[in-house]
Amino acid sequence: MGVALGAGLAVSIAGIGGGIGMGVAGGKAFEAIARQPEVGGDVRTLLFITLAFIETLTIYGLLIAFMLVGKA
Amino acid sequence: MIFGMWDSTLFHIGPIAVDHLVVTEWAIIALIGIIGFMATREMQVVPRGLQNAWEAIIIFTYDFFTQLMDKEHVAKKWAPLLTAFFLFILVSNYSGLIPGAAHIEGFQPPTSNWNVTMTLALITFFAVHVAGFSEHGGHYLHHFVSPSVAMLPLNLVEEVAHPLSLTVRLFGNIFGEEMVIAFLLFMAPFVVPSAIMGLSLLLGAIQAIVFTILSASYIAASTGEGH
Repeated sequence: MGVALGAGLAVSIAGIGGGIGMGVAGGKAFEAIARQPEVGGDVRTLLFITLAFIETLTIYGLLIAFMLVGKA
Repeated sequence: MIFGMWDSTLFHIGPIAVDHLVVTEWAIIALIGIIGFMATREMQVVPRGLQNAWEAIIIFTYDFFTQLMDKEHVAKKWAPLLTAFFLFILVSNYSGLIPGAAHIEGFQPPTSNWNVTMTLALITFFAVHVAGFSEHGGHYLHHFVSPSVAMLPLNLVEEVAHPLSLTVRLFGNIFGEEMVIAFLLFMAPFVVPSAIMGLSLLLGAIQAIVFTILSASYIAASTGEGH
């Protein structure tokens, strides 16, 4: 019971932070591309790298959840 | 199955145990190799068909790395490795989506096991430092103590964190996606999983691109003029 709760909390709390971060980064990138469409390619590459970094933190949470579930 | 591990050793070569993942990797390498061989067997000046597609991949990735890494000779030197990363990871991410793959005992995408992704990340780790030394020589060591000696521990932690995050990102994404598909297959065997499988086509390609871009930017950072 406790382990299941912990696994759920690990992935959900990590998801909240990652979701907010990705939303801000993606929104700003779209603003930049809308304002200056000619830099779209560069912004897109940087956006992918940034999203990958943010996503890693969420994936750490997911990994902990898998470890907890595997242990139980 | 515990934590992405599946104990199914198929046979031994000397003291080394060969399991299903290694065999799957051999199949993927053979597939890419055979397509590459077929595409370059009878090369023509004006490419057609398979040769055209293959050249398009090589030219696109080469241009992309040249743009990303600033220094053209560095990009030219490391583009083959990075393109190989991209093709291998793409094909192995997609190998879990072959119809019927879920029904074969021990069949799973190699990238959904952290041993495989850590191997790939360690190749990047060594490539970064080899690239740095071959570009700057002994002067490369200065970047560990820049801007001051007090930053040495933090720089060393960063060097370890790079391959670790590459490992966990690729493994976590593909393993998580496989788990979701397996769970949906268990709940609803037909039609329903196809939605998430369509999504995983996109995710598999994005993860292959992200791994390659990050490897390229680490190599660009170690060969750049910043230190």
